[in-house]
Amino acid sequence: MRLADRRKWRLRLRDLAAGAAFSAVALSGALPLPVTVLFVISLGVSLLGRRPFANQRVWSVLALLAVAVVLFGLVSRGALDLVVAAVGFATLVTAHRMLSEPTPATDQQVLLASLLLMAGAAALSGDVLYAVCLLAFGVFACLSLGLSVVEGPIERDEELPLTPVLRQVSIGVAIALMGGIAFFVLFPRLSWNVAARRTGAGVFGGTTGMSDRVRLGGGGDIKTSARVVLRAKLEPAPRGDRLDRYWVGRHFDLFDGREWRASGEPGMPKPRIMRAEVGGILQRIELTPAYGSRTLVGLEQPIYFGPATALGNTGTSPVQLVQVGRDEVRFAEEANAYTYVVHSRSDVPQLEQDRAALEALHALPPELDPRISELAARLADQATEAEDVAPLFERYLRNNLNYTLELPGEVDDPLTDFLFVRKEGHCEHFATALAVMLRTRGIPARVVGGFFGGERLGERFVVRAGDAHAWVEAYSPARGWMTFDATPESGRGSRPPAIFSRLVDAYERLEELWRSRVVDYTIIDQWEFVRKLVRPPAGASSAADEPDPVGPAGERTPTRAILGAFAAGLLVLLLWRRFMKGPSGAHPAAGFLVDVERKLQGLAIQKQPGEDLEALTKRLQSEQHLLAEPLSRATRRYLEARFGDRPLLKEERRALLEGLERR
Amino acid sequence: MSSEKREPRQKNGWRRSLKTTRVGRTYLVITVGIGLGALNTGNNLLYLVLGFLLSIIVLSGVLSERVIADVRVKRLLPDGAFAHEPFALRYEVSRVKGRAFAVKVSEGGGTLEGWAWIPTVLAGSPVTVRADVTAPRRGPLRLKQVQISTFFPFGLFEKSRTVDLEDLILVWPRRGFSCDPPEADHGRMSGESGNQRHRDGAGDIQGLRELGELEDARRVHWKKSATAGKLLKVEREREDRKQYTLRIDDDAPGDHLERACEETAALTNRLLGEGNDVGLEAGGRRIRPASGPGHEKRILSALASLGYAVPRSEPLP
Repeated sequence: MRLADRRKWRLRLRDLAAGAAFSAVALSGALPLPVTVLFVISLGVSLLGRRPFANQRVWSVLALLAVAVVLFGLVSRGALDLVVAAVGFATLVTAHRMLSEPTPATDQQVLLASLLLMAGAAALSGDVLYAVCLLAFGVFACLSLGLSVVEGPIERDEELPLTPVLRQVSIGVAIALMGGIAFFVLFPRLSWNVAARRTGAGVFGGTTGMSDRVRLGGGGDIKTSARVVLRAKLEPAPRGDRLDRYWVGRHFDLFDGREWRASGEPGMPKPRIMRAEVGGILQRIELTPAYGSRTLVGLEQPIYFGPATALGNTGTSPVQLVQVGRDEVRFAEEANAYTYVVHSRSDVPQLEQDRAALEALHALPPELDPRISELAARLADQATEAEDVAPLFERYLRNNLNYTLELPGEVDDPLTDFLFVRKEGHCEHFATALAVMLRTRGIPARVVGGFFGGERLGERFVVRAGDAHAWVEAYSPARGWMTFDATPESGRGSRPPAIFSRLVDAYERLEELWRSRVVDYTIIDQWEFVRKLVRPPAGASSAADEPDPVGPAGERTPTRAILGAFAAGLLVLLLWRRFMKGPSGAHPAAGFLVDVERKLQGLAIQKQPGEDLEALTKRLQSEQHLLAEPLSRATRRYLEARFGDRPLLKEERRALLEGLERR
Repeated sequence: MSSEKREPRQKNGWRRSLKTTRVGRTYLVITVGIGLGALNTGNNLLYLVLGFLLSIIVLSGVLSERVIADVRVKRLLPDGAFAHEPFALRYEVSRVKGRAFAVKVSEGGGTLEGWAWIPTVLAGSPVTVRADVTAPRRGPLRLKQVQISTFFPFGLFEKSRTVDLEDLILVWPRRGFSCDPPEADHGRMSGESGNQRHRDGAGDIQGLRELGELEDARRVHWKKSATAGKLLKVEREREDRKQYTLRIDDDAPGDHLERACEETAALTNRLLGEGNDVGLEAGGRRIRPASGPGHEKRILSALASLGYAVPRSEPLP
């Protein structure tokens, strides 16, 4: 490969490495937009081979210094996080170097600045995509550096074979990655996640949110979203891979005929909110950036919201909770993501003491279609209590109306339209209809917004944006608040496209693995790892409870450790030998010689003792043998390739061997 | 017996040196910074990056060792070299097995400044490269070691291996400033050169005469001699050239001798260039005045060895 091509490849690899490092930062979502735009433009210009700063060194450096001053000002005023500012500046330095005169020194500066970006991204984000970016950065940067080193201090336009260089560097990078992983696993952790940001703001922002209002009408696009908004670890862990339960978010009690609103004012911030004695199901919940709201979510009948942590651009910090009205709990501060603890108990009847509040839940829209009341009266017949009436209404709505996400156009009275005209709608329509019909019968009812469902991924359950759901709570003086859901079962969970859902599932599994094995890896995990390596895990044998004939567990021979160490040693030895041996010491032309000799044997041409190929050729020529001419050509070409530094091409080699066959 | 045919191994113990390059120093600073960040914050991703960076350092050591371990070097010495002036010193670099990349070859011990660069060396295909090196002083210079270095694979470190390889090179004095030449020789000519009548110049042919006794047989015109049946010598016009014998009386080592050698070398070059015959008397050795490039080398070699005891066993270039 000539100098121009080599340089082109080197610069491309360098730019790709810088692009990978930038992606790691950009995925955190923390980078200011102007910096992101500038880098993307610079990367494009650099990949096109343009270097506008090559002749503008002074001005470009001055501009960079000016940006540094601005960033410093923003940091000192508290408008920008220090880490974000540093990473932003490193991004601009990388872009500047990419657009400067391309020399080996500039390449190294680009890659070192990109390395700083990778370190910054490690502080800003904990996504699994960081691993992909790190891998890409490592490979591209090492290959670029390898090419740069072989080029030497003075670039000379001579032909150089680069494949061996790239091959050796690639093997080296693979070994370095394995070494890095080994270091990661074995290096003892002295502290963990003191200042780590386990998640960034995300590139796509929040998907669902919990808005203050639920307006009837429009489609249900969100049901097709497979983005994960919530991860929860439950104790005790439920059986099965699906969790068909309601995750309560907000309660809506005021309905004006078109939309539901929530009443109630925010209270004072508190570290925890307790409504009853702690017990039931413990949930350790993580709300992802895709959630996009400050409302806490918990399994049905949450009775305790515990210590919460906000994951923001400035790091991890405790966050206080605010009770809004009687039922909603919000985080006091805005952040990218949150973690908190919830206890839920379904065995405690939630009795309402506030009579006035219950009275408010009888309110009906002023222009309610009388057909709705008539329908409710007809369906309820003589029943008066919530536990009797609501199932009747549920059954009617499920059996007579259809579930659909496609509701084009606006209508004046969406509830009447749903019940008597279109006769199809999504969960908000079903919930509204049920609540209003209950109210017409004098039963306090309200709409609840949250999620329904949950899928097991590893140790946790995940809830997707498409699991967003609305249902009804009706009050029974005897049994307190009760949950009713008129939406057909097929319409309750998410409905993402199959392929997309599978992709998101795969990603989530990877993310879960990444979090549990990498991001949250602690010295306890290290200890467990070593313990499992040395001793078989308890219960691994079916006869674990039986007396061990060999002796106590602690005195057993650590077979697994010995086998593991032996396998690791063998692997290292093989790799080392392979590595130190390198490619075969034989000259590339030697293979051709072997092939020629094999052909001659096949053609019953026997070499005399001590006779080499040249001597054999001469002998055949003197005998005027048919093979003399093709063998002479093959011999000459072999000698040229072996000693004359004229490599033998594949096609040429095949043609020479075929020439021997034809005779 | 086959072991006798083998080339002597150039591996003399584990003599390696490691220098950090500029980018390597920055890399180490960043690695330490990331390590401190990882230890302080407990951020596992920083540990992951740190592990990768440390592995790269270890890998650099392994790959660079692999590059320089099996490299063989031979010196191809030049005919002559002037002190303080770059001259071409060639190396033949080869490998028995595997490949080597980004190899730098230089003289060990700082005897000569300069190096040669070889991008790739394949097994069984020796590469000859030229290094533009500079000798720091006049005189016989014993080259004892060759340093084989590499920046491979990432240019973070320069790893070097020193190989014992002895050679002797005679470095001629630098051709410095020359004063006015001394007076031309008178009455000190030997042989025909003192004869005003002799016509053995390099000008036009003036005629033929019979070759005298002790006269230079290279002037014989063989065709005419064969025709005449006796040895006939070609007589050519002789240019107006002078003979000079340059002298260095004090050959005690020191700065004085160095300057004298440099001046004499410059003067020799100048006088020969003007078409004169130049001779030398120095250190008890006398070179008869003569001309031609070979003669200049003889004088330069004599000047180079002035003040030094050149081993007789070592053939000088």
